[in-house]
Amino acid sequence: MLASVQYRVALRRMRMQQGWFIRVVLGLMMIYSAFILLTLGFFFDRFSTEVWPNKPVIEVVNQFLLAAFVSLFFVRFLFQKTPRISIVPYLHMPIGRQSLVWFFQGASLFSIHNFYPLLFFIPFWLRYVRIDSGSNEPGMWLLAVGMLLLSSHFANLWLRAMLQRRAGWFYLIMTVFMVTAFVDETAGMGVQQRISTYIFSHILSGDLFSLGLLASFTALTIILSAFHLSRSLRESGARVEHARATSIPMPESWGMLGHLIRLELLLLWRNRRPRHYLLVSLLFSTMYLIFMLGTKNAFPGFAFAALLGLFASGGFVLNYGQLMFGWDSSYYPALMTRNVPLRTLVKAKLIVLQLSCVGLFVLSFPLFMWFRPDLIPLHFTFLFYNAGITSVLILELASRNKQAINIGKSGGFFNYEGFSAKHWLWFIPTALPPVLFMMAMSNRAQLALIILATLGFVSVLLSDAWTRYFARGLTIRKHDMLEGFRNSAR
Amino acid sequence: MHVDFNQIEKRFGDKVALNIPSWSIEKGDLLGLAGSNGAGKTTFLRILLDLLLPTSGSVRLDGRLLAIDSSWRKRTGSYLDRSFLVEYLTIPEYLSFVGAAFGFTEEETNQRLAEFERFLPISRVDTTRLLRDLSTGNAKKVGILAALFPRPEFVVLDEPFANLDPPSQIRLKDELSLMAETHQTTMIISSHDLGHVTEICDRITLLDAGVVKRDIHTSEETLSELKDFFSGDRQTSAT
Repeated sequence: MLASVQYRVALRRMRMQQGWFIRVVLGLMMIYSAFILLTLGFFFDRFSTEVWPNKPVIEVVNQFLLAAFVSLFFVRFLFQKTPRISIVPYLHMPIGRQSLVWFFQGASLFSIHNFYPLLFFIPFWLRYVRIDSGSNEPGMWLLAVGMLLLSSHFANLWLRAMLQRRAGWFYLIMTVFMVTAFVDETAGMGVQQRISTYIFSHILSGDLFSLGLLASFTALTIILSAFHLSRSLRESGARVEHARATSIPMPESWGMLGHLIRLELLLLWRNRRPRHYLLVSLLFSTMYLIFMLGTKNAFPGFAFAALLGLFASGGFVLNYGQLMFGWDSSYYPALMTRNVPLRTLVKAKLIVLQLSCVGLFVLSFPLFMWFRPDLIPLHFTFLFYNAGITSVLILELASRNKQAINIGKSGGFFNYEGFSAKHWLWFIPTALPPVLFMMAMSNRAQLALIILATLGFVSVLLSDAWTRYFARGLTIRKHDMLEGFRNSAR
Repeated sequence: MHVDFNQIEKRFGDKVALNIPSWSIEKGDLLGLAGSNGAGKTTFLRILLDLLLPTSGSVRLDGRLLAIDSSWRKRTGSYLDRSFLVEYLTIPEYLSFVGAAFGFTEEETNQRLAEFERFLPISRVDTTRLLRDLSTGNAKKVGILAALFPRPEFVVLDEPFANLDPPSQIRLKDELSLMAETHQTTMIISSHDLGHVTEICDRITLLDAGVVKRDIHTSEETLSELKDFFSGDRQTSAT
C-alpha cells in the first residue's frame, strides 16, 4: 500500500514540476553528465596517464575513492531530501513506526545520487578491474564501491536527522572535518589518500578484513540513520523559542522601512531554515575560504578566483536571496492587505542583501590578507559587483518566485523545499558571466576588475531605480504570487 | 466606506465559484456573510481584499477601482486566517508593525491598543512569546485586534467567533457593535454562527453555490428564516 502511494506521489510531483524549458535544460545537462561519466569510466587510462603517467589506473582510482565519496556526500547533503517529511502523514495510521522508518529508509534509496556514480564505476570495473584481477576479488571491489555508496546515502540521512535535533553538532563536525582536511592537504601528509589506497587495494587483493571494516561502517550508518529518523519523529512540532524573542531595535524615524528591515532580520534570527542559509554563507566565507585560499593550486587561474570572490562576499545573496519573497509566503497576504508600499518592501530587502555583502566582505578580508594578498583587489571588486549586480539579478529571480516555504514548522536542516532545479540553474547566469568575463580578459586582469567594480558601483547608485523596477513587477505579479504561495502551501 | 461589486464572476477551471451581478454595502453597515462550506464566502472576501483576481467584473471602494487604486489599504483592517499574522514576531512586535502600516508612532499604537484592553489585555501578555506558539484562539484574538485597533473605516473578518472562548465572543460582539455605532465603520463579517451574525449585524447576505440567495435586513424572524434555509439545504444535499 505504502509503495503504491509513494509511486503515485513521485509521479504527480514529476508532472507538477518545472515548465518545458527547465526540463529541456535539465535533460540536456543530465545527458551531458552521463556521457562524461561513461566516457571517463570506459577510457579512464587516457585521462589518468596525462596526470599520473607511471601509475596503474586502478591505483589512481583507489587513491581517490574516499575523497570522491566524501565529495558525493556533500552533493547529497545539498540536494537530497530526508524521508522524515514523507513519513509524517502516515504516523496516525495503524502502521508500526519502525515499519514506516524501514520502508522510507529503503524507498529513499531510489535517488539519482545512488545511480549516477554507477555510470562511472560499472564501466570502469568492466574495463579495468575485472580483467586485471583474479576471480573473486573484482566482485569484492565492486561490492565495496556499492557499500561506500550506501554508507554515504545513509550517513547523509543520519546527519540530517541528527542535526534536526542538535544543529550544534553539525558545526562541530564541519569544523573538525574542514580543519583535518586543511591540515592533511597543506601539510602534504595525504593521510586520506593513503587510507583510501590501503583499504581498496587490500580489498582488491582479497582481504576480507578490509571488506568487513567497510561493511561494518555501512551497517552502522544504516542503523544510526534509522535510529535518529525514528527519534526525530517523536519530536515533531514547534518548540517555544523564548530565547530568540530578543528584538532588534530600529530608529522610529525610519518608519515602515525600519520595520521591514527588522522583519527581515528577525526572519533570519528566529527561523531555523533561513538561519541555516546565513550560517552556511558564514561557513563559506570563513572555513571553506581558508581551505581554498590556503591550499596551493586549489583553484586554477584568475577566472576561478572570480568564483571565489563571488561567493566570499555574495554567498548569502546567492543562497538566501533567491528565495526572498518565498520566505514571506506564509504571511504575504498580511503584507498585501496592509499599507506596506511595495517599493519600501523591496528597498528593505535590497538593503539587507547589500549589507550582507559588506558583512561577509569584512569577515573574509583578513583571510585574503593572510593567505592571498594578491587577491585583495579582486575581493574589493566583488564586494561592489555582488552588492550592485548579483543582488539585483537575484532579486529578479526572487520576485518571480511562486513557491511557498514553510519557515515556521519545518525543522529539517538544509531542507531545500521551495528551492527547485530552476534556482540551481540560476547560478549559471549569476555566477558564470563574471567568471567568463575574467577568463576572456585574463591578459588584462586589472582592467577586468575595474570594469566589474565600476558596473557594480553604478548599479548600487541606481538602487532606487531598481527598487521602482521590482516594485512594478511585484504589482503586476501580485495575484500570481499570492495564488502560487497559497496553492503550494497546501 | 461604500463597496460595490459589479458583474463579479470567479471561475476555477469550469467551476463557477462566485457569480454576483450586483451587490453593494453602504458606509456604517454591519453586514453578516453567511453560507455553507464551499458557498463562496472566502472567495468573496479574498476578491474584496484584492488577494484574488475575479475572472470578470470589478470591485469599487468609494468609487475607486480596487485593482488600480490601493489607497483602501490605509483605511481597511482585515483578518481572514493565520496568513494575516507574521508568526515569528511577538504580539507587541506584530501590533507595532500593523500600527506603523497605519502611520502610527509606538505611543499612538499603545494608546489605541489600550482601548481594546478588555478584548485582549496587552499589558498582561507574554512579550517573549512568538505568535506561532500561540493557540488557535489566542492567535485569532491577536489577528482580530490588529484589524480593529487602528479604528479603520472598513473591517473584514472571516469567522471571527470560531475558536474564541465565550467571554471573548461577547466582548468582540460589543466592540463590533460599538465601532459600527460610534465610528460609522463599515464591516463585513463572515460566519457560520447564525446566532452571532443575526445578533449584531443589521444586514445578512446569504451565499449559496457562489450566488447571493438572500440579502435581507435583520429582524426578529431572520434567525428562523436562515435556519429554515439551511435545514432545507441540508435535506437537499442529503438527497
